[in-house]
Amino acid sequence: MSKEGNSYSADVVLSIEGVKKYFPIREGALQRIVGSVRAVDGVSFQVKQGKTLGLVGESGCGKTTLGRVISGLNSPTDGGVRYATNGIFSRIDKLKNNGLKNFRRNCQMVFQDSFASLNPRHLVFDIVGRPLKVYNEASGADIVDRVITLLEQVGLGREHLYRYPHQFSGGQRQRVSIARALALNPEIIVLDEPTSALDVSVQAQILNLLNDIQKARNLAYIFITHDLNVVRHMADDLVVMYLGKVVEAGPTYEIFNSPYHPYTKALISAKPDLDNTFTENAKGLEGFVPDPARPPQGCRFHTRCELATPNCGWEIDDVVRWLEDTPGMFEELVGVERKSEFSAILVFTNEAAAAKLVKTVRSEKLPFAMRHCLKKLNLDGTKVQIEFDEVDEVFLKEQGNRRSACLLSPEDVFKGVKYGN
Amino acid sequence: MIKHSIEDKIIAKVNNLKIYFNSKRGVVHAVDGVDFEIKDGETLGLVGETGCGKSVTGRSFLRLLPVPPGIIKDGTVYFKPNEVCEQCLGDGCSNCGDSGRQKGQGENVDLLRISDKKMRKIRGDRIAMIFQDPGKALNPTLTIGVQIAEVFLQHRSDEVLKLAGLDSEKKVVRRFASQNPRVFDKILLLFPEALKQKKMVQDALNKLVAKALSETQVPNPSKLMDRFPHELSGGMRQRVMIAQALACNPDLLIADEPTTALDVTVEARILELIRDLQTKRKSSVLYISHDLSLVRRICDRVAVMYAGKIVEIGKAEEIFANPRHPYTRGLMAAVPSHGTPRGALSAIKGMVPELIDPPDSCRFSGRCPHEVEGCRFHNPILKNVTNTHSVACFINNPLPAGPVPSYDRETI
Repeated sequence: MSKEGNSYSADVVLSIEGVKKYFPIREGALQRIVGSVRAVDGVSFQVKQGKTLGLVGESGCGKTTLGRVISGLNSPTDGGVRYATNGIFSRIDKLKNNGLKNFRRNCQMVFQDSFASLNPRHLVFDIVGRPLKVYNEASGADIVDRVITLLEQVGLGREHLYRYPHQFSGGQRQRVSIARALALNPEIIVLDEPTSALDVSVQAQILNLLNDIQKARNLAYIFITHDLNVVRHMADDLVVMYLGKVVEAGPTYEIFNSPYHPYTKALISAKPDLDNTFTENAKGLEGFVPDPARPPQGCRFHTRCELATPNCGWEIDDVVRWLEDTPGMFEELVGVERKSEFSAILVFTNEAAAAKLVKTVRSEKLPFAMRHCLKKLNLDGTKVQIEFDEVDEVFLKEQGNRRSACLLSPEDVFKGVKYGN
Repeated sequence: MIKHSIEDKIIAKVNNLKIYFNSKRGVVHAVDGVDFEIKDGETLGLVGETGCGKSVTGRSFLRLLPVPPGIIKDGTVYFKPNEVCEQCLGDGCSNCGDSGRQKGQGENVDLLRISDKKMRKIRGDRIAMIFQDPGKALNPTLTIGVQIAEVFLQHRSDEVLKLAGLDSEKKVVRRFASQNPRVFDKILLLFPEALKQKKMVQDALNKLVAKALSETQVPNPSKLMDRFPHELSGGMRQRVMIAQALACNPDLLIADEPTTALDVTVEARILELIRDLQTKRKSSVLYISHDLSLVRRICDRVAVMYAGKIVEIGKAEEIFANPRHPYTRGLMAAVPSHGTPRGALSAIKGMVPELIDPPDSCRFSGRCPHEVEGCRFHNPILKNVTNTHSVACFINNPLPAGPVPSYDRETI
């Protein structure tokens, strides 16, 4: 994306542009940086005024980190979050003094765990009144009035003013958090799983409350959650993340109707539902989320994707992962001499194990798509040389008002056409 | 879902169970007169909000209640274990149709009254539990292999010795295959013969543990056995818990929100796993959850709990097609579903009442949109609506027709 002079439509309040957040992995006595966990790896989208943007994904996909970057709690490794002040978009990590203060008061956050995010030693009056004091919005008796108004807005009252957080139930504590976020009349609220610790009936109350506040104040929400029922109810637009990357984005309604990415499809079909008739084929996903310190090449989802093709980025790590999961094989592996991500020589302790690997790679045990993109498979004593076709990263493609990062066409994803069938 | 050929044998029966807790402010009636039964091979779902007593009910089966401050005020929990097949010791053979159990049932015991020694024999063997948070329920200082081996050492000493090819009559050998380490073990291990036998026992144990783990579709169980719980992902930990719980082929499995901490994609797989293993072994499951949509997906029968009482119980299809109790309806309406306009979720107004010395009224009165005069002064009891569906409400006869119940939207 171009740096300056970008044109934004009028209702955009926040623009997330190629945000990356890497956490360093340190090792050894000197704590040298040996690698990095790519929690968020190049994410772009825009937040519109008065709209709710849903951010969904499994745990560990970077959605909370992204939320923290957006609200300025963490600074991004690369890329930036741009916030509009008087029509001028400026990066929030470059803001200073008044600019930063202005952003801070306009972008508030509600955290998942209301127990941890409310200071147990402070009274509700202190918690909700603190922002008002810090920004010199009110003083003296005025603060009490303002706090009471805020509490009333979130369904609490004057009687709750001088209580400690532990005296409230989970739903009420979340209301206090919301009141605190509302205190400075912000434009944007980042909601990080605000209802995941609550019961359904309380969740319904909080969701209704959030909606009413949004209508009244024309707020923009960034709603981070893993609950698809909630996000379908709340969000206008949806961003689906997997391993630090956006796999699909677009209007919620359309995505739920026809997901363009196999990952979204799997998420939606795994979702338990009250409306639909009993579905037996809620299968979930095979395997586990790969290590974000070594994300897979090509499409990051190819290791678990049912519809993967030879072009999806099969690599040496996939073979190593398979070895790890096979009893008796990983112990025999001595070393991996990597030439690139797609080409390496695996060294085993004995010839039998090497031969077994070659045999299995050629057999039905590995995905057909993976075997199909093998370039080289040579057995040389205890060494096995493996080379795959090199593949570029899969980028997000614009498709009308939606974006998805899948090599397959939406029709093929919808039908679930498996490679080779 | 499990369609069982065995006629409706009852494996456990809870009668008027009352469990109270002493607190500074008074006696909390956590479970206040609960009755239900679990049939052989079925999955009974126990749903309710936080603090309604569902976990306490579940734990009472294993007597894992903190007493004091807990008081088992009244009631019985009868449990009638199936007899273990003598031929295969619960492993599954042709004689017992792979379920490892014989048709006959053992003696009826009251789990709340039997001695601790007897309880220890049942716990983990005939009744097992999967806990909500596998991160907390697994011991962080022990490897996975050692933790699962505990179950075998506790309940399956004979089997371990048989597999190791050792004489189970010898007392010296037996001590290696039982859980409690003894004072003289270290001295004993100075003899090479004893060391050899100990090793044989350990090998046999490893085999059993690997077998238990592989049933939960864990890739490469032998590698996993040397890991510690913190090295595993949430889904993996939950699989370990399931392997541990099902290691002894229990008749009754109590699953206390086993998937709450997991992602939907992993959740679906774990549920499938529990269901598969249950079908294979024909055990009964008490599934405790707060998620109605999950319960609907996996349960045969459902009991809805509210404030320490069961307000509605019946077959899953019946309850979800035709919920009779206003609370059940409220819960179902509160789940955001397709087509609900934004901001128009029907929340149940008010909050769960405190359970300290509750008055003799319907517990849901005050929040109920269909409240009638009697609700505040009388306590409804469970009454049959159909043969398989009962509800504790005064307005159980056809609910007011017309529009969906008017759960007041809480205004702000």
